[in-house]
Amino acid sequence: MKILGTGIIFTRGQGIGVLENSLRSGWVKPAEMDVPRTEGNTRPVYQVDLDAVQDRSLLKKLRRADKLSKMSVLAAADALADSGIADIARKKIGIILATAFGAQVTTFDFLDGILDYGDAAVSPTTFSNSVHNAAASYVSSSLNIRGPTLTVTQFRFSFQSALQLAQTWLEQGRCDYLLAGAVDQYGDVLGYIAEQKLTAAQDGRIKPFVFNPTCQVPGEGALFFLLGNDRTDSAYCSIDSVSTSGDPDCGKPVDINLIDADGMLPDESAYLSALSPDTLTTAYAPIFGSMMIGGAFNLATAALMLKQQTHYAAPVLDNPHALLLLSETGPAHIGSIRSIGCNCFGEKSVVYLSKLT
Amino acid sequence: MENKELELQKIRKDLKEMIARDLALEDVKPEEIGDDEILFGEGLGLDSLDAVEIVVLLQRNFGLEIKNMDQGKEIFYSINTIANFIYDNKGKKS
Repeated sequence: MKILGTGIIFTRGQGIGVLENSLRSGWVKPAEMDVPRTEGNTRPVYQVDLDAVQDRSLLKKLRRADKLSKMSVLAAADALADSGIADIARKKIGIILATAFGAQVTTFDFLDGILDYGDAAVSPTTFSNSVHNAAASYVSSSLNIRGPTLTVTQFRFSFQSALQLAQTWLEQGRCDYLLAGAVDQYGDVLGYIAEQKLTAAQDGRIKPFVFNPTCQVPGEGALFFLLGNDRTDSAYCSIDSVSTSGDPDCGKPVDINLIDADGMLPDESAYLSALSPDTLTTAYAPIFGSMMIGGAFNLATAALMLKQQTHYAAPVLDNPHALLLLSETGPAHIGSIRSIGCNCFGEKSVVYLSKLT
Repeated sequence: MENKELELQKIRKDLKEMIARDLALEDVKPEEIGDDEILFGEGLGLDSLDAVEIVVLLQRNFGLEIKNMDQGKEIFYSINTIANFIYDNKGKKS
């Protein structure tokens, strides 16, 4: 299975070009968001600004959609366009959208509506946006995609599970191409929970290589890959294997280990057992923010590194465990990258990516 | 008479802001909506789902219920017709 196109929207903007510029320019301090029901308290958040989206044509069609769906459609449309496949609209394309929390902001809006105005005066549009498959349906309807559509919800590894399923659908011939995406949205409730259960990065810097204690800065965004079996001129890389229950190929040599550490676990020491002192290690959560679906954004970075044959320096380099960190940006020969995620039980998801030959 | 016109002006202004904001009309500013502009179809381009949202807005913000959608067609013709309905019915259920 190959990554043929990538679409992304995150705190720094929209598009693979913005991602590349962000990786080159490094860490940027997050914005401070007001904390509701407090006296002037703020918390750092890597939030997406949809008002800054330059091409408004899709957003005009999506006026009833919530932010989660809008981010999804924008990223999916970019992934299709980025693939450069001329007759893509005529192909049978499936959609698998991964999320940890889904339309939680809209769901809370809907519940607030019931509490404030009673069940007879709740917005029907808010309700329709709060249902489980709404974002994937918006992608399907606004981009005129008619293949199977599915939403995968899982706290951790939801995007990796989506990739496994995508591989199955492609092998079965259910689709010519697959749009596999991940999306999550920041909201006051999630911000509150993160603050209560985890440690906020006071200076706004997520330190992915510290492992314990960890610190987080909430993020949000959407990422889509267009996946297919046939190589194209603008393809990024190959996805060789995806596992959500450990690493069956753990002895396999790779050029870079890319970890999803982002402070969303209070102790991320489990990553250490997967790293080698001789292999470059990197992590990009400080660019995107802390998200349960953060692994998807890291995979986009890995795909870009393989396509461009470029090292992107890890944006925050605090390194108490003396790891061999990827600390400089520049041209490189990269054959393979292992992307590693951990959940709170110490279980690992592993995705092997390799350069197209 | 003067008071009535002042109150209607305020209702019209509030309505325009509500419609532009809560119906998420891209590129439509409240002040660009005409008092007599047709809201549905060829006018502002609102549709049946927007009508349901306006019913909810009237209920939330003015405590007015519209149970008969045939009546709604006349009321929802323009900002002026909605404002007059609100003015005539405030304080009592329709």
